[in-house]
Amino acid sequence: MHVTGVEAPAPLLKVDGLAKRFGGVVALSDVSFELEEASIHTILGPNGCGKTTLFNVIDGSLRPTAGRVEFAGQRIDGMTAARIARLGIARKFQVPGVFGELSVAQNLETALACHGGRYGVGALLRVRPDAVRRDELADLCGLSAKLQVRVSELAHGEKQRLEIAMLLAGDVRLLMLDEPTAGMSVTETEAVAALVRQLRDERGLTVLIVEHDLHFVRSLAEPVLVANEGRIIARGDYETLRHDPRVIRSYLGEGADA
Amino acid sequence: MIGAKREGRTGLIATGLCWIILCGVGVLVDDWLLAQVAIYLCYGIFAMGLSLIWGQAGILSFGQAIFFGAGAYGFAVATLDMLPGTGTGILTGLVFAVGLATVLAWALAWLTFAGRGLSGAHFAIVTLCAAAVVEIAVTRSGFLGGYNGLFGVAPFTWGGEMIAERPMYYIMLGVAFAVFLGVTAIVRSPYGTVLEAIRDDENRVAHLGYETRRLKTVAFVIAGALSGLSGALFAAQFGFVSPSLLGFALSTQVLIWVAVGGRAVPLAAMVGALVVSGAENTLSNTLGDLWLLVIGVIFVVVVIAAKNGLFGTLFRLPPPKRLRKT
Ligand SMILES: Nc1ncnc2c1ncn2[C@@H]1O[C@H](COP(=O)(O)OP(=O)(O)O)[C@@H](O)[C@H]1O
Ligand SMILES: [Mg+2]
Repeated sequence: MHVTGVEAPAPLLKVDGLAKRFGGVVALSDVSFELEEASIHTILGPNGCGKTTLFNVIDGSLRPTAGRVEFAGQRIDGMTAARIARLGIARKFQVPGVFGELSVAQNLETALACHGGRYGVGALLRVRPDAVRRDELADLCGLSAKLQVRVSELAHGEKQRLEIAMLLAGDVRLLMLDEPTAGMSVTETEAVAALVRQLRDERGLTVLIVEHDLHFVRSLAEPVLVANEGRIIARGDYETLRHDPRVIRSYLGEGADA
Repeated sequence: MIGAKREGRTGLIATGLCWIILCGVGVLVDDWLLAQVAIYLCYGIFAMGLSLIWGQAGILSFGQAIFFGAGAYGFAVATLDMLPGTGTGILTGLVFAVGLATVLAWALAWLTFAGRGLSGAHFAIVTLCAAAVVEIAVTRSGFLGGYNGLFGVAPFTWGGEMIAERPMYYIMLGVAFAVFLGVTAIVRSPYGTVLEAIRDDENRVAHLGYETRRLKTVAFVIAGALSGLSGALFAAQFGFVSPSLLGFALSTQVLIWVAVGGRAVPLAAMVGALVVSGAENTLSNTLGDLWLLVIGVIFVVVVIAAKNGLFGTLFRLPPPKRLRKT
């Protein structure tokens, strides 16, 4: 099982004793877990339990108060968000992080242009981002026919898909998705679950997902981390955890079967 | 999509026509007026620099006159032989002027974009204060002529003779055209796209792997260098420099030109500078203080109702080929 990780090779992501306080608010306390390469994990937990904060600390948006984060054997806490992104951690924001004033083509270009270490001004003035790759990504999010449309005019689901396509532009190894199915229909939710599995199977991506939608978690059928009050309180597969009294008390009790 | 294509083509035609008309102005207009328009072209270059940082990257600077003034004073000080080793050469003067503005812009960017950087409103306030401080400092500087400024700045010469109004106009037009081509090339490159993305959501751009501070600094320095160039060209034609060239008032004026013209399109920003400063010159005589009211109202209306300004839509070029449908 993933839980112990004893037989597994070195983990891709290792979070150790992570804590984050905002003044008096303890958003994370002593969070430790490891993710092995090409695994998918979902973090479940009530609102305000620190899931987004955990993402913020891992991707360099925030510095932890204590603890460390290692990615592919390298310590990354304290690095800038840009540097962490270039190492191969891509994060999807809870609010779609697309550029509304730009066209779909420009959004994809922004995601593609820094590919291959060419993120300086000199390179950006000369580089012509890979058009073939651009079209592949446009296909992936189903927006090939809308390349010149302003992103603010897209439907919510289209923005979500565009953002995921943008995250896949570079050499991603760890994909972090913060509530990727929020506001989606059941069919769209299942499509995201299928896409996530496909990315893991075909590209060997490691995926960490924050999700409220239990239907999604169940259809994904991958291990779950249960968070509560800034801690990871349980880890395992959903069907087992569903009956774990601690988990029921903290979260799943509120209508796990709804 | 066909409509969008048409719009782009109109922009291309309007852009071409605009430059042809400006060439024609050099033939049709009398020397006195031509000298005026040549000065407005300095403002136009200044405006294109601001359009790069404000229109493209969303960096609202209230201190651009610092760099315009640095260029003007730099050129004056160098060509008036007030510094050791610069001589009185025009070219040395220009290099010194642009260099000074570039260094100042870099220093201001280094200070203000440090760490997580100042937010938009804070950046505006800091640049505003910087402009006020620089203006006061120069007013108090005896070396720079204090309140009166410096007189007798050398005009451009050719073979020992002062260049006449008409050729001077075409020189200015040539420089403006080169700046237009340069800024347009930047705006249309992937770097331009990323600057635009920074305007939209800087944090998100950083999360894609870009060092946004560096990207913004380079844009700010380019705009500063262009401001310095326009200030030097202004000083050479105007013949004297004074503290008002680097203060709060001119910093605000250039913002108005660019907002009224259309901040996201370099040529629109330039035409905004030409039209508003031209109108100011003719109308402020007849309207007096009412002019301030008129330009104020136009500014407010444009800011609220027309983000593209008066000419932004007219001069919008079709998107570069690589961003059109394959
Ligand atoms: N930037 C911040 N400043 C202050 N408090 C914050 C900040 N971000 C999150 N918090 C607090 O930390 C706690 C965890 O929030 P968050 O990580 O957003 O929860 P979740 O994503 O699980 O809903 C909440 O109490 C929230 O108010
Ligand atoms: Mg959250």
